Amino acid sequence: MELEEVFSSKPRMKILKLIYQLGQLNVSDVARRIKMNYTATSEHLKILTSEGILEERVYGRVHMYRLSETPKAKAVVALIEAWEKP
Amino acid sequence: MVPNQSVFKDESKLDINYIPQKLPHREKEQRLLSEFFSFILRCPERMAQRVILTGDVGTGKTALAQHFGANITSEANKRRIKFRYVHVNCREFRGSLQTILHRAVMAFRPNYPARGYGAEEVLAALMQVLDEEEATMILALDEFDSLIEKEGSDAVYKLTRLQEMRQGKPQRLSFIFIMRNLDATAQLDESARSTLQRSIISLTRYGKPQLIDILSDRVALAFELGAVSEDVVDLVAELAYSETGNARFGIELLWRAGKYADAENAGVVEPECVRLAISSIVPSLRRSELASLGLHERLFLLAVARYFKENEEVYAALTEIEKTYAVLCEEYGETANSHTQLWNYAQYLTKLGVLRTEVASAETRGRTTRVSLPTIPAVELERQLSDSLTQNGRRD
Repeated sequence: MELEEVFSSKPRMKILKLIYQLGQLNVSDVARRIKMNYTATSEHLKILTSEGILEERVYGRVHMYRLSETPKAKAVVALIEAWEKP
Repeated sequence: MVPNQSVFKDESKLDINYIPQKLPHREKEQRLLSEFFSFILRCPERMAQRVILTGDVGTGKTALAQHFGANITSEANKRRIKFRYVHVNCREFRGSLQTILHRAVMAFRPNYPARGYGAEEVLAALMQVLDEEEATMILALDEFDSLIEKEGSDAVYKLTRLQEMRQGKPQRLSFIFIMRNLDATAQLDESARSTLQRSIISLTRYGKPQLIDILSDRVALAFELGAVSEDVVDLVAELAYSETGNARFGIELLWRAGKYADAENAGVVEPECVRLAISSIVPSLRRSELASLGLHERLFLLAVARYFKENEEVYAALTEIEKTYAVLCEEYGETANSHTQLWNYAQYLTKLGVLRTEVASAETRGRTTRVSLPTIPAVELERQLSDSLTQNGRRD
């Protein structure tokens, strides 16, 4: 996926900010916090995972997502920090 | 007296959740607990341990476990061993194994979902998280009885046989089971009980001298210098001892007494503050008991109340009370009864739990009976007795 496609989605940006703030979250928690339905949230999470920005941990039926250690993820963290911190 | 000067230096040191740096009279048990779990520092992952900690209310079970938890965590950090001590009060979570285990998972994964997953799933998640983190954990389950009551043998079995389901994998989860006694384990089936009862540390009740040491330590930490006299510590220890050697009760009593002292702007904690404090915790003299007393018993008790109201002392010799009683008899136009009769009254009122009497050796010769009024504020008692003597006349 092209850079502009990944970052052109408002829900995806919200998800990235949320996970940056809270660490590790499962799909339902993300969906509830960004006020979006489960299926759409899950789709966005999958895209961010396939791009190597997030990583998924599976604990039985619980799927949790957190920022990965890849250069892309580090760049996202730098972007959020530059943007959000005064 | 300095106005608005609190008797407290740091009242948080009397809080139920405060873990003191030293636990007087529990050194042996501390060493034993450290010995049971020494493998965590020497060879983590090679073995797991289950220890039962039993003892009555206020014998220091929770404090001992948490104190040990803080020490072993600090030692593990120094040695760069990944270790967590998690203390969960099972009663707070209504004995639900799923919720209790969720607490343990939260030590590493604070956003792990709280609902929708069974205890077994959460236990599996906990083990997976510990594997991912390459960490070991001691999970202290306080008031474990409530988990047994709610979940029964199955839950205990799941916890104690956990490692058997993980043959060949690192052993990461150890337990401290904390309960008052082993009675609750009688409800468990044979196999669950046998896996549970391996290493047991029993905490005996504190004696009065031990309670004095514990309370003196807390007084030094929590109160301003000179705000609490040795006599007051002695009185509180006596009361805590009568409450099955309950140190927690004594500490709470100290705090309450301090609050009464501050409310009165007294500058020091007087015995009367302790009496007020205890009357707010335990029921004082019931009206029915008061009504059942004869005239001279009431006059005698009024003499006790008046004596302690006027003298800031914890104990009084019976002969001192006798003098006040004689004055009261004059006041009420009664002939005073003999010393022996007063001694009988003191014994009867002790049986009722109103007074406390003890025999002490006199400095010069013989033995003397000492009376104390531990649980009822003298002012309140005097008011009640004066009212009752006025209302009911002076009938015997």
